[in-house]
Amino acid sequence: MSTIDRLAGRLNPRLRIEETRAAMLLVVRRYDSLATATIVTIGYLVAFLWAVGDLAVRPDVAAGLIVVDDPLGRLFDRTGPASFEAVAMVDTGFVRILVSPMNVAIGLLLATLVGINLGLTYLAVVQPSACGISAGSGLLASFPALLSGTVCCGPVVLIALGIQASGLLLTMFAWLLPAGILLLLLSVAYVAGTIDTTGVTT
Amino acid sequence: MRESPTTDGSSRRGFLGSAAAVGLAALAGCLGSPDILDRESDDKPAVTNGLPTADRSLPQEYTVEELNDAILPGGPGQDGIPSVDDPQFASADDPPENLDGGDPIFGVVLNGDTKAYPQYNLVWHEIVNDVVGGESVAVTYCPLTGTAQGFYRGENELGVSGRLINSNLVMFDRETETWWPQILALGIRGPHEGEYVEEFQVNWTSWDRWREQYPETVVLTEDTGHIRNYGDDPYGEYNPRSGYYENENTLFSPLATDDRFRMKAVVIGARNADGAMAVPKDSLREQAVVEGTMSETPYVTVYDEVLDTGYVYRNPEERSVEADGGSVVVDGDPYDPDALPLECEIGFDAMWFAWYGYYPSTVVHE
Repeated sequence: MSTIDRLAGRLNPRLRIEETRAAMLLVVRRYDSLATATIVTIGYLVAFLWAVGDLAVRPDVAAGLIVVDDPLGRLFDRTGPASFEAVAMVDTGFVRILVSPMNVAIGLLLATLVGINLGLTYLAVVQPSACGISAGSGLLASFPALLSGTVCCGPVVLIALGIQASGLLLTMFAWLLPAGILLLLLSVAYVAGTIDTTGVTT
Repeated sequence: MRESPTTDGSSRRGFLGSAAAVGLAALAGCLGSPDILDRESDDKPAVTNGLPTADRSLPQEYTVEELNDAILPGGPGQDGIPSVDDPQFASADDPPENLDGGDPIFGVVLNGDTKAYPQYNLVWHEIVNDVVGGESVAVTYCPLTGTAQGFYRGENELGVSGRLINSNLVMFDRETETWWPQILALGIRGPHEGEYVEEFQVNWTSWDRWREQYPETVVLTEDTGHIRNYGDDPYGEYNPRSGYYENENTLFSPLATDDRFRMKAVVIGARNADGAMAVPKDSLREQAVVEGTMSETPYVTVYDEVLDTGYVYRNPEERSVEADGGSVVVDGDPYDPDALPLECEIGFDAMWFAWYGYYPSTVVHE
């Protein structure tokens, strides 16, 4: 792909969407990039749930299951700007899981976007025909997602880090999640546009 | 927030009479019977929209406008930290598994009813709307300021607004949505703005100490109606003390600062129409009896070694108060620390930065 063609593509939203779709399909068609994306997605989801407090190591608690009254009615009860009540708790004897379907959905969305970003980055690194992408692009793009993972427990994160909060900083926490998702989508589109999908071997 | 905060002296003097009446009603001890039932008819708290408010005067070092300007979002929204509205209790013989003997609990004695509220549970809920000794009350706890206080609530319920002032919990009552900063006990926004909510004594002690003193006590269980990772404290640990509870970091800049003590040093704070006073708990443990004055009125704080807590008494007649083993001798007669024949003031543990932030004119007795 020539430089002029690529520039034209960047200015053409429809072409960019098509390129992005093709690149994402490429990630899931190659077993190695799919494995990369899957591992990153699962790892990020686990880290997200731990960060929001829905996952903890509790070997001191016996195995068990607790479900709240009216779990469906409480699915959307919020505990923070973008965090929701758990409706059940599972103790395995080692790990404690607070089941909040909305938190899982948010975490899965973020994790999938991070996974695709890093899957595309992996392709760019191992595939010589990819052009113009640096290995750090996907990682850099994932940074907002890492930040957005703290959205539900921002003040606690600040306490852990010993950072004194201002009203502005706390207001920013409320915007981390939508900002993180937007940046991840832009990143996917950007990275996808730098890969010549026709030249990638499967 | 303010460089040179001042006490509203005229307001305090104006309410001196009513505050003295409150003190007289609390004669003969700090625990057991609620002030709210003992008052003369003229001093009965006003009950408006189900929320008992009191004709009392506390030091007001910031205007309501300044306090409203100091409100910050704590992260969760209104009721994002859910209060416990249908608390369930277990006997002292069958406490929750997560409750260790050395863990802090907040103990309440009202009308012969004795209850313990574990800190590890309230760190997730901050407010329990309960009935103790036939009284509708709210037992409240703010993790960031280390304060546990009790309020009468009438037909109303208190909830967590999700806002903080001076790092301190701002409560709201569900009926009128008035906002009440916990330490101040003052309505700062809503129909009850400028009014004080009626309080009762809550003791910060350990579970072992409490159940030894009150074997008939019941203790709050984890059956709160909410799923939380009980046993895991998001801020740190008290048994032993670590994390936020120990270090010098605060989440927000205090309204005023003072470096006489460590930020999280625990003081027993009391405030009334005479002003605000703080007694460092370490000093109290060492001396057992700590004396001082507020607005030239003598006060004495005595240590209760059984519960590792302290009680604050107004002592205008300067009666002789001395420690004698586990009891306290007043004018030659021995008394339990919580039952001196003096006017008991409500006192509670607080982190020094939080107490000073709200009451920069506080006197320190040590």
